[in-house]
Amino acid sequence: MEDIVVKIEHLKKSFGNNHVLADINLQVKKGENLAILGKSGTGKSVLIKCLVGLLNADEGEISIFGKSLADIDENGLNEVRKKIGFVFQSAALYDSLSVRENLEFPLRAQPAKPQHEVDALVEEVLQNVDLKDAIDKMPSELSGGMRKRIGLARSLILRPDIMLYDEPTTGLDPITSKEISKLILDMQHKYKTTSVIITHDIECAHITANRLAIIDKGLCVAEGTFDEMIKSEDKFVKAFFK
Amino acid sequence: MKRLIPIDIETNLNRIPLLSGFFNAVSKLTLFVLRFFKEALKPPYEFSELAKQSYQVGNRSFALIAITAFIMGLVLTIQSRPVLAEFGATSWLPSMVAVSIVREIGPVITAVIFAGKVGSGIGAELASMKVTEQIDAMEVSGINPFKYVVVTRVIATTLMLPVLVAFADAVALYGSYFGANLKEVVSFHLFFSEVFGKLDFSDVFPAFIKTFFFGFSIGIISCYTGYNAGNGTEGVGKAANAAVVFGSLLVFLVDMIAVQITSLFT
Repeated sequence: MEDIVVKIEHLKKSFGNNHVLADINLQVKKGENLAILGKSGTGKSVLIKCLVGLLNADEGEISIFGKSLADIDENGLNEVRKKIGFVFQSAALYDSLSVRENLEFPLRAQPAKPQHEVDALVEEVLQNVDLKDAIDKMPSELSGGMRKRIGLARSLILRPDIMLYDEPTTGLDPITSKEISKLILDMQHKYKTTSVIITHDIECAHITANRLAIIDKGLCVAEGTFDEMIKSEDKFVKAFFK
Repeated sequence: MKRLIPIDIETNLNRIPLLSGFFNAVSKLTLFVLRFFKEALKPPYEFSELAKQSYQVGNRSFALIAITAFIMGLVLTIQSRPVLAEFGATSWLPSMVAVSIVREIGPVITAVIFAGKVGSGIGAELASMKVTEQIDAMEVSGINPFKYVVVTRVIATTLMLPVLVAFADAVALYGSYFGANLKEVVSFHLFFSEVFGKLDFSDVFPAFIKTFFFGFSIGIISCYTGYNAGNGTEGVGKAANAAVVFGSLLVFLVDMIAVQITSLFT
């Protein structure tokens, strides 16, 4: 039981009459990379936003490191969030700040560090994503792939235990998508993080994930390794992997 | 038994979407204002971001306000001069223009321009931050986006508008001096002796105080429209538009209240 980092039980979320998540049950073990797949509009992004408390579940329970999100206050939630890195679909870089300032921004939530330590951290995460030269650029000067890399670097600067990726390869060409997928895997190996990757990119899931879960109509319809999914006789799973 | 209230108020309100929408928006705005005061008073304080926003807010509208203020003083003088000349009262021109500018025209025109330039900018910027998930990114980093984004901008507009109004008043009076010299020669010393001779505490102080409320109103409404923007680029456009429209409207409403309060003491 101790190695379960994320536990989702009977999660339900609706927006008006649109029941996005009907009954989701999932567990993520320490050091595992779980890819959650599904068609567009099946609530994958809603699920990942519930995991960090950006959206509140209507019913059910989410536990991170054994702490139920429903039982903690705002300060407690912020403490949990410090252990989580979130890479947004659009990278969500702060437009008015340079790459350096973007990377330094999450450190505000932590006790003040000497500038040389901050500089070393910034340099390290930029080195990880191979974008050291972009340090003084503005987000508007970066390509889509570079933005995703900087978004990943910004999430890594707090050395999170859990990484959440919301559609990390959406809008990228196949070569850059593959590079980002490999980068996700490299970072997981380097920092020993647990990852949840929301995607509909089968190749990304294949490269990054130890285990896959497929969501359809608000329910988790299949779970298993990539090979198990490929061999599945389920109609929906077969259609998804064709 | 005859009913005292024959129509169920709530049902009736729901039948009028415009009215229920209005009350809904007012209640949300009230909660937003209350949250502002709660977050503004609670440490930690974002002083560096406040300084950055204050600089940007002041700098962004500085040139526009200077040009408008100069034209405002010039035109007011040119338009008023013939009327005063009919009564042989052109010597009253500097003091009349000074009282008009300092008490009313300077603060209101500057605030309306400020709502158009700065308010729309804040509304669009915050809406864009929301659409591109930048506000969510702050939240998941454990940083309070309301404190960082909203509180700093509202305080910046509240503090900077009075400074801009004082600057606009000075430029408008210089424009008036320039206008007065188009038809006859009036010395700088004489013109400004007349200006400051007629202005007293009851002209300057209430006008100065109300500019803080103008700045607060513009800041809070701009942040409210941006922070609560709908998704997509349409939401950004609507937020910017609403910031200007409701910001300008609030300036006139606050001005009306300020004039009523001032009149009680004068």
